[in-house]
Amino acid sequence: MRRSVFLLGLIVLLLVIAGSALAAPRLTIPESVFKFGYVPQNAKVSHIFWLQSTGDDTLKVLKVKPG
Amino acid sequence: MLAVGDSTKLEIIFSTKKYKSRISKRPTIQTNEGPPDKHVQIIAHVVARPDSTYPVLIKPYKLDLTQFGDKVRDEMTFKITNVSDQELKTTMIQFPKDLFEVDLPKSIGVGESAEAKVKLTKEAVKSDFEKSFTIEFDDQMASRFTVPVKRTLRAARQQAASSAKP
Repeated sequence: MRRSVFLLGLIVLLLVIAGSALAAPRLTIPESVFKFGYVPQNAKVSHIFWLQSTGDDTLKVLKVKPG
Repeated sequence: MLAVGDSTKLEIIFSTKKYKSRISKRPTIQTNEGPPDKHVQIIAHVVARPDSTYPVLIKPYKLDLTQFGDKVRDEMTFKITNVSDQELKTTMIQFPKDLFEVDLPKSIGVGESAEAKVKLTKEAVKSDFEKSFTIEFDDQMASRFTVPVKRTLRAARQQAASSAKP
């Protein structure tokens, strides 16, 4: 009885360790392309994109580089 | 830092400068997800002569709600002229809801002009900004037009600064 409880505990512990080792952040951008259409010269136009954290670990945005 | 299941906004500002014709920009987003990095993409057709666009002409093609003095300037009208050979329905694609709302005509007949209006929110009246809104028409190309909207409180601020001087 003691032995099977120990084994069960060990399995749970291993699953928790494996789960945290496999946890990965994931970035999802539902709409990643935006078309402004016609825009005049010498103006500033803007668009907001949504970034979603859809992985199973915290997502960190490290840098955004202009295109 | 984004917890699992959370979302955040990423605002991309495109300065059209002296660009001409179709421009595409692809900013890169680097995260702890690792490579490959992800991208967003914006595509614009920068026009040197906004007074000769098709299927509509928008006048003025840039809206400047700069306020001179204390008199509140919180709205501006503009005209959309249908220069195509079909009636055009309008669809608002995007606008910054926290700053202004845009009253658009539902449709514009062939050769007709319709008035539209930008009206600032109470919060926006107190602020400077440079934003834009995008409209789409139901012609074959589903043509889009993005109208820049700018507001500064230059004169009011200068007056306040000069009256604060001893």
